[in-house]
Amino acid sequence: MATANHSPIRRDWLSKTLAGLVLGAVLGLGGSGLFLQFSTDMPLSVRGQLAMWMVPPIWLGVLGGVFFFASGLRAWLWLGGTGALVLGALSALRLS
Amino acid sequence: MRSEFVRIYKAVHTWTGIIAGMALFIAFYAGALTVFKEPLARWASPPGAIRPVALEDAQQLIVGTLAAHPAAARDFTLYVQDAENVPARLGWHVRNPDADDHDDSQVRHYAATLDAYGAAQVEETHPSRLASFIDTLHRVVGLPADSDPNRWVMGVVAALYALALVSGVVVLLPSLVKDFFALRVGKNLKRMWLDAHNVVGIVSLPFHLVMALTAVVFAYHDGIYAVQDRLLHDGKWGTAFQRQRPAPGAAERDPATMLPPLEILARVREFSPGFEPTMLQYQQVGGPRAVVRVWGKDAAAVSPRARGGFAAVDPYSGKVVGSDSLPGRQSTPNLFISSFFALHMAAFGGTPVQWMYFLLGLAGAWLFYSGNLLWVESRRKKQARQGGELPAQRLDVRLMAAATVGVCLGCICGVSLAIVGSKWLHGLAGDANAWLPALYYGTFFASIGWAFLRGAARASVHLLWLAATITAAIPLTSLLAWSLPVLGMWTHTSAASLGVDATALAGTAAFAWMARATARRVRSGAPDSVWSASGAQARPEAGVPAAQTPR
Repeated sequence: MATANHSPIRRDWLSKTLAGLVLGAVLGLGGSGLFLQFSTDMPLSVRGQLAMWMVPPIWLGVLGGVFFFASGLRAWLWLGGTGALVLGALSALRLS
Repeated sequence: MRSEFVRIYKAVHTWTGIIAGMALFIAFYAGALTVFKEPLARWASPPGAIRPVALEDAQQLIVGTLAAHPAAARDFTLYVQDAENVPARLGWHVRNPDADDHDDSQVRHYAATLDAYGAAQVEETHPSRLASFIDTLHRVVGLPADSDPNRWVMGVVAALYALALVSGVVVLLPSLVKDFFALRVGKNLKRMWLDAHNVVGIVSLPFHLVMALTAVVFAYHDGIYAVQDRLLHDGKWGTAFQRQRPAPGAAERDPATMLPPLEILARVREFSPGFEPTMLQYQQVGGPRAVVRVWGKDAAAVSPRARGGFAAVDPYSGKVVGSDSLPGRQSTPNLFISSFFALHMAAFGGTPVQWMYFLLGLAGAWLFYSGNLLWVESRRKKQARQGGELPAQRLDVRLMAAATVGVCLGCICGVSLAIVGSKWLHGLAGDANAWLPALYYGTFFASIGWAFLRGAARASVHLLWLAATITAAIPLTSLLAWSLPVLGMWTHTSAASLGVDATALAGTAAFAWMARATARRVRSGAPDSVWSASGAQARPEAGVPAAQTPR
């Protein structure tokens, strides 16, 4: 299956699914936090609803795409790195 | 795309589909009917015995009712349009504070009218719960009550459904150009079913993505709001919807000084000409925060809820104080939020869109049914080409085929019987509502039992004929009630109510056609299949004597 220039794709069902579930939630909530930071001109009732609505698409989008990673470890590293960036940006914005 | 990804996503598609498929069938079949919840409620509502009150006399009715029942001032509704399921001009309901917010069975309904001398009269009513029973099946994938844990189960099913959509598209993408719209009708039945599954899935993909994502939100919004409140809103989310507190010492107000309903309607029509008001929901009318929500629909605009949207009006001044939920008059961010609801509930575009959603919902149900059938066909053991012994099909394959037939057709039969029973039992047993769960679940579980007992092949023919018969009983009941009034039933002649009868008639024809086609396949299709009666005889461990008697 794996040829010379194709490294094999590991299935890693458990670690990839967990990465999608856990880090998908982190990215969804972190993304909604960034949105809230950039939408302060809207009333809280409206931007709060929009922020809630954006969590499931991000979460399930990550969970749906996570099996494209070559291995479970790569999924955790890439998604974890992105999550750390989002959370870092969010805390910087909230503190400033 | 590398073939390994296709294989991985094929596994994801298979597992998510097989776990969630049957629950989704129920959600989509019941959901397609729920698009026409109002016509169903009208069909099932017994004719009213309450004295009608003209809209011109509504102010007198409101004032008289509130004088006799001050508690109703908290929240009551004045109905503008007459329909079979509207028992009286004015009504309100009282929820059981211990019951779940979505539990309609715990709600008590009251209706008010004026007697011949102009005095208000109030009585408790017992509206048919048929339509909300079917809606509940839809909301919680066939479970009996719309409660928090059941919605969480639905949320898991919806999340698996979203995964099945993504993975299905990934599997199909490499061959999309070749396979799209290629419906290879021919000897290879599995190829034909797969082509049909792919075409229906891709064509209705936007509809399904909307359904999956909104359903996940409907299941988990409380939880997401709670987490966001703690982490992002610093505990301020609860204040977002609070209205301004009234000035201290604000006086109680006399509802008799409110503008008459016709005047309020005129103000709203002036404010938004395309808006068609259906009812006026009065809230806190005796207090400083009195407001009336003028609910209605606007076929040219997006509605925030299935029953439409509303203009918030001050009932004393007639001023429109809020148009956040008024179709066509919302701010862009509010319109964005409303469109999620409208796209799930077909609350835009009027009746043509409702019919489109009805058909898309039925096509979705078929998508899950055909998905399970493809799982079964992919695991078929073929007979050697030169004849020879019929191979026994795997036990798990036979069980999955029986479960699919039993659950899907059992749901169809159960829903039809609940519809028929809502009319018959009203005359015979008094409260038909209490019988609805027994009718539905009795039929549902009996169908599943029959499918396992007789095997998928035979049971599918029996259950399809049963579905055709019970569904035919819906218009026949109306016909019988019309010709024999002594039965104590009723036949409404509004287009909405007759539309239910006509749709049931079309459904009967569809089920009968499927039953004939399935019977043909069971009788003379390839014998090395779970769909063949002769194939079923080849089971070595068949526990069913009937399957072993030679024909």
